[in-house]
Amino acid sequence: MKKVLRLISVQLGAILGDMLSIGNNRKRKPKAIYFGVLLFVLGMGSIAFFYCFMLGKGLQMYNSIDILPAMMMAVISMIVLLTTVFKVKGTIFGFKDYDMVMSLPVKTGSIVASRLILLYSINFLFVLMIMIPMMIAYGVLANPGYLFYLYGLLTIWFIPLVPIILASVLGTGITYIASKFRHSNLANIIVSVILILAIIVLPLFVKDTGEEIVNFSRALTEQVNSIYPLADMYTKAVVHNNSMALVSFLGISVVCFLLYSLLIGKVFKKMNTVIMTGRYRTNYKMGELKQTTPFQALYKKELARYFSSTIYVLNTGVGIIMLIAGAVALLFVDLEQMLGVPQALDMIRKVSPIFISFCLATSSTTMASISLEGKNLWVIKSLPVSTKVIFLSKMAVNFTITAPSVIAAVLISIVLELSMIQTLLLLGITIGFSFFVAVFGMLVNLKLPNFNWTTETVVVKQSASSVVTIFSGIGIAALQYLMLLILPSFELAYLIYGILLILTDIALYKILITWGNKRFVAL
Amino acid sequence: MLKIRNFSKSYKGDKKAVDQLNLEIANGDIFGFIGHNGAGKTTTIRAIAGVMDFEEGDIFINGVSIKKDPVACKKITAYIPDNPDLYEHLTGISYLNFIGDIYEVNKFDRETLIEKYSDAFELTSNLGDSIASYSHGMKQKLAIIAALIHRPKLLILDEPFVGLDPKAAHTLKSIMSDLCKSGSAIFFSTHVLEVAEKLCNRIAIIKNGKLIAYGPTKEVTGDHSLEDVFLDLIDKK
Repeated sequence: MKKVLRLISVQLGAILGDMLSIGNNRKRKPKAIYFGVLLFVLGMGSIAFFYCFMLGKGLQMYNSIDILPAMMMAVISMIVLLTTVFKVKGTIFGFKDYDMVMSLPVKTGSIVASRLILLYSINFLFVLMIMIPMMIAYGVLANPGYLFYLYGLLTIWFIPLVPIILASVLGTGITYIASKFRHSNLANIIVSVILILAIIVLPLFVKDTGEEIVNFSRALTEQVNSIYPLADMYTKAVVHNNSMALVSFLGISVVCFLLYSLLIGKVFKKMNTVIMTGRYRTNYKMGELKQTTPFQALYKKELARYFSSTIYVLNTGVGIIMLIAGAVALLFVDLEQMLGVPQALDMIRKVSPIFISFCLATSSTTMASISLEGKNLWVIKSLPVSTKVIFLSKMAVNFTITAPSVIAAVLISIVLELSMIQTLLLLGITIGFSFFVAVFGMLVNLKLPNFNWTTETVVVKQSASSVVTIFSGIGIAALQYLMLLILPSFELAYLIYGILLILTDIALYKILITWGNKRFVAL
Repeated sequence: MLKIRNFSKSYKGDKKAVDQLNLEIANGDIFGFIGHNGAGKTTTIRAIAGVMDFEEGDIFINGVSIKKDPVACKKITAYIPDNPDLYEHLTGISYLNFIGDIYEVNKFDRETLIEKYSDAFELTSNLGDSIASYSHGMKQKLAIIAALIHRPKLLILDEPFVGLDPKAAHTLKSIMSDLCKSGSAIFFSTHVLEVAEKLCNRIAIIKNGKLIAYGPTKEVTGDHSLEDVFLDLIDKK
């Protein structure tokens, strides 16, 4: 047990080190980083509380507040499931220090246990960020007895267990099958995008309003209960204080996890050997080679890097996928009828640039592109190309990813029957914001690079650079709403915002080619 | 070809990793740079390659300052670090083609030289594989081939023989000799003193960031072996 704990502390330390370190020095963690992390946790917690409270208020109007804990438990279970599928490779199988760890005089079972607990710990933090605010919101709205809090706090520890098992089984299957293919990452990305699209698009076709939405939520909860009986047990235990349900919930979770650990222990070495050695081998024969310019070569290299990482594509592509899915769905859905609100189209016309900007704010590939050079940084630094060309090639990849947003803007302007001026404003803000996320992401990454990462997930999702870029982008996008409130017409609001955005873009680009150049040379 | 003038580098205000280094390497030289671990060899090599920024002194490649025009210097230089971390998402051939594009090597030269050096290092059949599947030695060979396909006038290598099998090490030594005969200069660091003694026409020994011996190999060693001279200098000075 001592060895397992030591392994966990070293591995958790490495992940936290990856998340908090800046530049090449693992020890250099400015106080601002800790403050930023605290702010992030508090911010996420506040958003979760606000969401749960508003949802609870709505449910309370229809005497259905009791389904709130189960709904949020199902939501967090789904989040754990979806995010863990892509963490299995890199955490349990095919992780970077496999050879080093396996050569230690420690039992394989202890190594497996440490990897599973590591996976559990990462997920547990997210469970806490959602479930604690949910308990507070439910407590305020439903005023439950002390047993709710007691059982709630007890069950929190066990909620991630079964979703982790399901995700691991799925992830293991995908990893095993993908290891047999030459373009395994592409196969991984395609399956994941289909999954995301299904989650986004399907609810749009459910034509329910008002009370029907609550009925729908209840029906959905019942459906979740039948598919995932643990959610039902959870409700009975936490909301209705049923101790038998509590014991069953805890017992099933723990037994399943133990059985799963034993199973993984049996296949751990075999699976890792298959993944590490099962790569495609060819007998290459020299043929004709295609020539391109240095810029095109850098762009192609950067694009190949982007598509080689499933987590990078999913994390920065989901906003654009949502945008395209939303724009296409608009073609087939009668919005006024679906929302049940007259003049819904007018409202949507007003907020469509904000929606596009929000989607773009999550689509900065440049926020991680310098950090992802990692140990390869010497390659681009030793090449005979100017820093400006390197920056432009990285930004060009970002433009390639955000380019479909222009098509989405055109579709939206057709469906919403926007005037010529409104269409131009929408297109201007879309293009201006695409440029903003590319330049701003690059500047933030230059300021807060991380070259010591051990998993790409940390750089793409949890590094200081990605958090600052995404939240600043969301803030800048939200400014439009403020301007809508202040200014008399929405055309004027977007015109002023558009001009300010273009001026910001120009200023940021100038900073990039002056300060950014010096900063890159010094890295 | 290479002039280092009063080059110094310190990290975060600590003591100097390299202190007032002055060196000169002419066309056709094979220059061995020797020193104990942490002596300042890699720091110097990274500065020459334009990978690391520095404030004190200057480095000139073919008369051009690396500080003032790094792109012009890098165009005629090739650098191989001690640990060749390459783009693992690319295949061997796509990496070589990428380097060919960046250095604007014409199609004929590119295809001919890739084939020549890949065959010499027995890597041709693996060029279609992902670099992620390569062993350390294979990555080292790929980095060497990438460095050679644009015919550099200055080749900078940090511990080039580490990880290479005996045949590949022999191939590299003969390629280095050929390159110098054609007028290029080679600057490399090594801990294998026998190789330095046999291969280099000039050597420099660095200790704690300062140059303690520098000149034609025969002048530096005199009647002794390079190993004896090195151990003597490191222990006494």
